[in-house]
Amino acid sequence: MNATSEPNTNANVAIAADKLVRAVPLGDRTLTILDDVSLRVNDGQTLAIVGASGSGKTTLLGLLAGLDRPNSGSVSWHGETISTLSEDALAKKRQGTVGFVFQSFQLLPALTALENVMLPLELASNPDAEALATDWLKRMGLGERIDHQPRQLSGGEQQRVAIARAFAASPSIVFADEPTGNLDTDTGNEIVELMFKLNRDQGTTLILVTHDLELAARCDRFIRLARGKVVSESGAA
Amino acid sequence: MNWQLVFRFVKRELRSTEARILVLALAVAVGSVGAVGMFADRVKAAFANQANVLLGADAMISADRPLSDDFAAQAAAFDLRTTQSTRFGSMVSKSSGSGDAALSDVKAISAPYPLRGVIEVRSADGASSGARGARVALRDVPKAGEVFVDERLASRLDIKVGDTINLGKNTPRVSQIFVEEPEIAGNFLSASPKVLMSIADLASSELVGPGSRASYRIQVAGPRAEAFTAAIKPKLGPGQRLETVRELRPEVRQTLERSEQFLGLAASFAVFLAVVAIVLALRRYLKRELDTATLFRTLGAGRRQTLLHFVGQFAVLSLIACAVGVALAYAAQAGLAFAVRGLFASELPAAGYAPLVKSFLTGLVLLLGFALPPLVALASTPPVRALRRDLPAPTGGGVIASVLGIAAVLGVVLLQAQDLRTGMIFVGGIVALVGSATLLAAAVLWGVRRVTRSRSKKPWQLGLANLDRRRLSTSIQIACLGLGVMTLITVGFVRADLFSAWQKSLPPDAPNRFLVNIQPEQIDTLSGMLKERGQAAKFYPMVRGRLVAVNEKAVSSKDFVEDRAKRLVDREFNLSSSESLPPGNALVAGQYGGDTESGTLSLEDGIAKTLNVSLGDRLTFDVAGEKVALKVTSLRKVDWDSFRVNFFALIPKSTIEPLPKSYITAFHLPANDGKTLPMLVNAAPNVLAIDVSEIMERVRSIVEQVAKALEFVFLFTLVAGLLTLYTAVVSTQDERRYDTAVVRTLGGTRSQVRSALIAEFSLLGLAAGVLGVLGAVALTWTLATRIIKVEFIPSPGVWLLGLLAATLCTLAAGWLGTRSVLSTPPIQVLRENA
Ligand SMILES: Nc1ncnc2c1ncn2[C@@H]1O[C@H](COP(=O)(O)OP(=O)(O)O)[C@@H](O)[C@H]1O
Ligand SMILES: [Mg+2]
Repeated sequence: MNATSEPNTNANVAIAADKLVRAVPLGDRTLTILDDVSLRVNDGQTLAIVGASGSGKTTLLGLLAGLDRPNSGSVSWHGETISTLSEDALAKKRQGTVGFVFQSFQLLPALTALENVMLPLELASNPDAEALATDWLKRMGLGERIDHQPRQLSGGEQQRVAIARAFAASPSIVFADEPTGNLDTDTGNEIVELMFKLNRDQGTTLILVTHDLELAARCDRFIRLARGKVVSESGAA
Repeated sequence: MNWQLVFRFVKRELRSTEARILVLALAVAVGSVGAVGMFADRVKAAFANQANVLLGADAMISADRPLSDDFAAQAAAFDLRTTQSTRFGSMVSKSSGSGDAALSDVKAISAPYPLRGVIEVRSADGASSGARGARVALRDVPKAGEVFVDERLASRLDIKVGDTINLGKNTPRVSQIFVEEPEIAGNFLSASPKVLMSIADLASSELVGPGSRASYRIQVAGPRAEAFTAAIKPKLGPGQRLETVRELRPEVRQTLERSEQFLGLAASFAVFLAVVAIVLALRRYLKRELDTATLFRTLGAGRRQTLLHFVGQFAVLSLIACAVGVALAYAAQAGLAFAVRGLFASELPAAGYAPLVKSFLTGLVLLLGFALPPLVALASTPPVRALRRDLPAPTGGGVIASVLGIAAVLGVVLLQAQDLRTGMIFVGGIVALVGSATLLAAAVLWGVRRVTRSRSKKPWQLGLANLDRRRLSTSIQIACLGLGVMTLITVGFVRADLFSAWQKSLPPDAPNRFLVNIQPEQIDTLSGMLKERGQAAKFYPMVRGRLVAVNEKAVSSKDFVEDRAKRLVDREFNLSSSESLPPGNALVAGQYGGDTESGTLSLEDGIAKTLNVSLGDRLTFDVAGEKVALKVTSLRKVDWDSFRVNFFALIPKSTIEPLPKSYITAFHLPANDGKTLPMLVNAAPNVLAIDVSEIMERVRSIVEQVAKALEFVFLFTLVAGLLTLYTAVVSTQDERRYDTAVVRTLGGTRSQVRSALIAEFSLLGLAAGVLGVLGAVALTWTLATRIIKVEFIPSPGVWLLGLLAATLCTLAAGWLGTRSVLSTPPIQVLRENA
């Protein structure tokens, strides 16, 4: 653990969190949602965050992914502290470093599947956006559906588009918040298989929020949250 | 900035209903503003052309010395048609006759003449029976050695076609007797019988030369006449004057200005509706863009990149919408012009493109004014919203948003209004309406909370509670619907009441014949003859005087800058007296003296301004060599389009009594009565009879055409308004559909949901109706009393109807928009809106 302060010797640590605290004002009190959470995940590892609903999983994921800022503590990616970066520098950093799969799919309804997948590539001004996105959709088994809009796709298909979008920009870390939460069991399993496979193929680090213990068991490690604290942990960084 | 991405997004965005409705709302708004504006311009131009007939041209330069050829060359540079003429007074007598001579108004003309209107003669068929034949247009000018004389001169001197007359050194042959020629502008009280001669005979007649008083004129006509007059005005030398119909005839000017006001009002209403449509469509569009913005931020777009992207995307969307709107506007005004074809004597003149440009800018300003602040806020959406969509949308820029939005509306309304005053009244109206909408919404919500407090809610209480839950949305809907209802009721009111009030000010029996130069001893005879014909005519004394001093300081036309003032000082004033304030006159300042005090003067407000005199100033007039000093004790506004006998200057009876005076009277005769005037003139040969039935018919026909044209414009505004209101209700359907689906999922029956919706929409419509009617009453009252200046006639029937219609239409539109949710499985609605 003493290595956190020496990034050079931790080149293989993909993501590290140190004493994260997240609190929100609630009337005249403050509600502490996350309390002193520390963790580290190595390159290529898969980590599951489990816990009851309301235990702070999404909050933690948001902090790890740099979508939100902690009240205290810090997060670093590949040894670089992101908590102190400016809003725009952080946004730039997210480009190409991280990918997301959300519970409610966050596909833009007016865009076709292809255009949804192209979006992160376009934002990063990738000239091969269309070719890459097409390629990814084909890998997801959606080669025939690239011009369909989200409402024309089933839940599982929508989530596969979301996965394609998450991996298309070749991120080194992928965050997923209950990716199977809105799906039936079979489709959910199918999605999970796909994500683990991509994770292996691409060598990405995967942080997965789930309340499905079976799914958590398939990850290299898991941490369990209860009322904003880490109550148990499996495996080692 | 990544324009490629912007354009790609615009293309993608246009697939969504939200973006499409926004584009459509804006296009319709721009379209109606542009169409009304352009059509109004065309109608105005048509009226102006007709009014210009009174001058026989669009404009005229007159001078007391021959004009250089430069003016004609200048006019040619503006593609104008021109004609030159010389006008002077001369005694005319019949060559073989009693030797009676009459002072005539002689004009030496050359083809083409006239540039506007026609010379009218009687068709031959009626002549034998003694009745007056129909008027027909004469397409000819006198040849060398010939003259045309008017009916008045012909009857006075007993001239027939073929007779010769003495005109200076010449004895031309009369080849036509005409009824009227176009140039009847100018002071008709000094009109003499008219003679038209060929300009080729002018030199040989030796009628004009050094020292003679003649007016040398060049008349111009063409689409760019206004530009020409603007260019030529500063170049006029001493003794040269520019004359247009507006300057010469106050009643025509007032009629034209009112027509323009009415049409301008219609355009302002179109802007009102545009604002409503845009606000509603924008709200819905921005709500959707929030998701896109969140995703942009999550996927690594910085705040700046996000901002630039959305502003760029929005700008492109707006440009597309405005362009579509302009195309719509062009098509719609062409349609309007087609619809009114036949109403106008000739085809509507083509209009400039200024109204289209204006509508384009209006659309852009409105959109950017309303959208820029929320777009800025959008760009700072916290990325964590991707994980928690229930987080409140960023509200940053709220104050800036309101300020900019209000500034945009104010700017556009002021731009659209005819003048600052009207604009300010509209602006005040909007501010008051938004204020009252907020208050009313608060009151409604307070009431709703009271009636829905019970634990076990009835379905209708649930519906009303929904209004309370979406407080902001409810307030906005009440305000927008109210604004729409207000506009529609006001449009109806302007169309019906204001307009008929205006038409009433020009009644069919308004005086159309004048007798001037009546001697005091002739009054009894003439009034007796008139009484036999059912005319109780009033005789007004009249004294001619030249203004020689203001506050004892001698004045001449050189002391004044303004053309009109110069002219007034050059010519003679007609002074009259009246015991009380004459009808159609309204006191602006001071006290109307009447007879109580001698040496007082009541001046028409406009002329006082032109001469730069005010209450208390002393004016000295030269009346037949006698100096009369008068103190200004009151200022009056005169209703010129009433065609009554009106005077710029009124003095007390005791002051006018000792002065050499004649009398003037006005009365109404049917337009085709050709016998009475000659009979009166026979009884009193020195009296000058003037027939203004022609000019009155012209003004009346302008009023009638305005009425018909406005009908179409208002119909158009009405349709646009109804569409806007429908959009208003429909654009807030999403949240309602979602709520309804939730209620049904939780076991609400269809009938429960139905009652809830009906309660909700009825209250919404009622509140908007109350607001709209109150707003309309306030606005129409202000328009009637402050702008158009006609009597305000309350019409409770219309108000009640408006209230009822607002409620029912809201209910119907809301019901139609939400009804489908009752037959859609709730899960589908919930998934669509997840
Ligand atoms: N912005 C916020 N304001 C107030 N409470 C919050 C906010 N974000 C999260 N919470 C609360 O913090 C707790 C943890 O939330 P979350 O991280 O979403 O839990 P989980 O994802 O494990 O269900 C919940 O009780 C939630 O209501
Ligand atoms: Mg969660």
